[in-house]
Amino acid sequence: MITKIKNAVKSKKETDTQTVLQAFNVRKSFGSRANVQQVLKGIDLRVEKGEFVGIMGASGAGKTTLLNVLATIDRATEGSILISGADISKMKDAQLSAFRRDKLGFIFQDYNLLDTLTVKENILLPVSLGKMKKKVAEAEFRSIADILGITELADKYPYEISGGQKQRTSAARALINQPSMVFADEPTGALDSKAASSLLGTLADVNEKRGVTIMMVTHDPLASSYCSRVVFLKDGNIYSELYKGDKTRQAFFQEILKVQAVLGGDSIDAL
Amino acid sequence: MTLFDLVLRSMRKNIKHYYLYFFALILSVVLYFVFATLQHDSAIIEQSGNRLGSAFLAAGILLLVIAGIFIVYANAIFLKRRSREIGLYQLIGLKKSIVARLLIVENTLLGIGALVIGIAAGLLLSRVFLLLLLKLIDFDTTITVSFSAAAILQTIAVFIVIFALTTVQMIVTVYRNTLLSLFNSDKTAEHPKKPKTWVAAFLAVLGVFLIGFGYWLSSVMFDNNFFINILGVMVSTILGTYLIFRVTLSWALYQIRKRSGGHLGLKNSLSLAPLMHRLKGNANSLTIITVLSAMTLSMIAGAYSYYYSTERETQLQMPFDFIFEEKGAYAAEIISEMDEKGIAYQHGVVEILSMTGRLEEGALAIPSNELLVAIISDEQLQQAGIDVEAPSPGTASLHSTAGLSMFLEEKLLPVNMLLQDEVQTSIEIREFAEGNVINWETFYTQVVVDNAYYEELKEVLVGNGYAEIKQIDGFHILEESDMEAASALYQQPKYIESSLHRDYYSMFKSSVESNGLMIFIAGFLGLVFLISTGSILYFKQMTEAEQEKQSYSTLRQLGFSVNDIMKGIIRKQAFVFGLPLAISLLHSIFALKALSSFFLSSILVPAVITMVLFAVIYLLFALLTVGYYRKTVKMALR
Repeated sequence: MITKIKNAVKSKKETDTQTVLQAFNVRKSFGSRANVQQVLKGIDLRVEKGEFVGIMGASGAGKTTLLNVLATIDRATEGSILISGADISKMKDAQLSAFRRDKLGFIFQDYNLLDTLTVKENILLPVSLGKMKKKVAEAEFRSIADILGITELADKYPYEISGGQKQRTSAARALINQPSMVFADEPTGALDSKAASSLLGTLADVNEKRGVTIMMVTHDPLASSYCSRVVFLKDGNIYSELYKGDKTRQAFFQEILKVQAVLGGDSIDAL
Repeated sequence: MTLFDLVLRSMRKNIKHYYLYFFALILSVVLYFVFATLQHDSAIIEQSGNRLGSAFLAAGILLLVIAGIFIVYANAIFLKRRSREIGLYQLIGLKKSIVARLLIVENTLLGIGALVIGIAAGLLLSRVFLLLLLKLIDFDTTITVSFSAAAILQTIAVFIVIFALTTVQMIVTVYRNTLLSLFNSDKTAEHPKKPKTWVAAFLAVLGVFLIGFGYWLSSVMFDNNFFINILGVMVSTILGTYLIFRVTLSWALYQIRKRSGGHLGLKNSLSLAPLMHRLKGNANSLTIITVLSAMTLSMIAGAYSYYYSTERETQLQMPFDFIFEEKGAYAAEIISEMDEKGIAYQHGVVEILSMTGRLEEGALAIPSNELLVAIISDEQLQQAGIDVEAPSPGTASLHSTAGLSMFLEEKLLPVNMLLQDEVQTSIEIREFAEGNVINWETFYTQVVVDNAYYEELKEVLVGNGYAEIKQIDGFHILEESDMEAASALYQQPKYIESSLHRDYYSMFKSSVESNGLMIFIAGFLGLVFLISTGSILYFKQMTEAEQEKQSYSTLRQLGFSVNDIMKGIIRKQAFVFGLPLAISLLHSIFALKALSSFFLSSILVPAVITMVLFAVIYLLFALLTVGYYRKTVKMALR
């Protein structure tokens, strides 16, 4: 039995917040004509400035596909996506590249640091084409490295530091170009629980202090409890949304678990 | 599924990895087979006797060594790329012996394929190369390449040995490596350590200094200790080259990187950083490639220079088409023979004073020995059709070819020639002139003086019995078309009294033949060598591109366009290909400068042509590599 509780818990404040991302009826299918598989079946989504949005769902629900499409790494088959007012679904590849470089930040599950670069060099990569003045970049690096607690590691190579430190480096790299939005794909997937919560705490901190908008894909309810809103996907559709509001993290975590249990129950029903 | 099925399936799925190794195999077979065919070609053996045969044999061995190294190297890269696959077979429980057998079956199939394709292509190509060789050595016979069973057998035998070598290499890879190292082998990038500042700085400077010292030594090496000097030049440049790649470069790169303070920029992140991480592993191969390139380049340029300047060199040695010394009767006889055949000629008689003398000590870089001197009047030479500049009255100009001129330096002038009579009459030499005024087979050191001075010397020296007067009959053939016939007349047995009975035409012909062969062999080996080293650099870069794929996909996701990334990669390729090329060009320039003193004529043109060709071929490989990288970067995202 499938029960849709879409928009059930919606408590969005209709105030003067600024919209960073808007997606209308986004569809994505893979495969050729003979064997088309629709992964996203018409997603509408709106992210306000300063939000920390978590995206959850079972494997195959389309989390990563949605993130890739929103993050301009992959193209939607249908629908339009606006980031900071710019319609990315109409951009050419070269424009998309430039857009990603200037406006977006990325954190990957397996860090994706360049082995041959030091921590600092890795972090400064997104501004390495020289559009940001060296002085500004240096100051920006200092303040971000300070927040993330990796100032001491600046001259170390990735192989010399721990997984948690690598992910902090990756996060710093995502923030250096002062992006409109940061996309994180399972950032805690490869970390132990202690490193994971430490990183999430820092991300929430950055989100709060610097007002950075973050969208994070995760399958871990604990990770998503750090978010201000969690969107649940099921079979390519938005299944439900939860807002943290003024709840404690613990309470929010319990709520997330409940929705996940329903989602999980569904998949058992379907069998 | 039998083992054989597994082999076929894995080969089909892995074409991408195989074609590189397969290509190396085929290329080596083709080139070796062409060489073997020429070596066994009856027409070539017939036309030129044993001389060509032994040259071919020596070159064949060298070719074999190059091909062997090339194949073993390609196989090593091939195995490294497949080590994960080899590890996987073992992980799912195949015994090492079975994995080894699998690889051996594969290698045998590849080997047989390469031999068949290579020999077939070789049969077509050998005709092209034979025509080229015949053109170079100036044989104008029409020859068809005969199907040479001996060449095929020789090629097969040789490559069975090489295949055995690669098989051993494969077995060692399977048995020696642990599973873990097989799975991690594509991740073994080294980590640059902070160089110990002053040791590194010292070694870095030492590298540059050693090369500079080698260059300097090569310019002054023509003295008593010639062979020690040559050894010194080699040791110091090779060591210097190694230090440059091993220390100087990493030291310089480290300094640049340190100065950037983390703001490396995209281009340097994609060139400087990965270079630093592979420098240690690459230093050896880059040194070998550079040194061998320099040697090959010098060898080809040298051989080409010989070939290029054959005509001029022969003319400088033999200003007359032929001469008779003190054989007036023969001269008269050949005149009547030529008249009979209607050969147009110019005949001149030159009188020389023949006696011993020596250059004053210090005039040469070597101790001066007693020389057989011919004193000749400028007027008589001019009348005989030799274009010689008149020396100022009372002085002389010294004419000689390579033997002596190598050790003569303009700046030492004037020097005195001391004649070995009672009073050691001294003649002041104001000028060193290039080339003989009388054909070389007379072995005189030729001293040209003005006519009045000549008469004066003649009176004194002949009068007191120290000098002998000799008569030289010199001939110029006026029509080029008569050259061959005149040469045949001169080479009749009745005129031949010594083994040094040479005329210009036959000497020129035999020089063209030997120099043509030399340039062919040098060029062929050079081509093989260039293709091998170029391919090795290309293969290495392919492997690096595979290893860095993840970095490229990260960069693409971060929003760098393919073109941004390519700019960095091109900078890296400029290093990888440009540095060995630049250093080897520099080495060979100095080598050729030293070599040029063996030539009377300038070798600038042939040397420059060779170097440009060399650079172009390197550039082609660099472009190929960049193309491969572009494909990799494009494929990195989706």
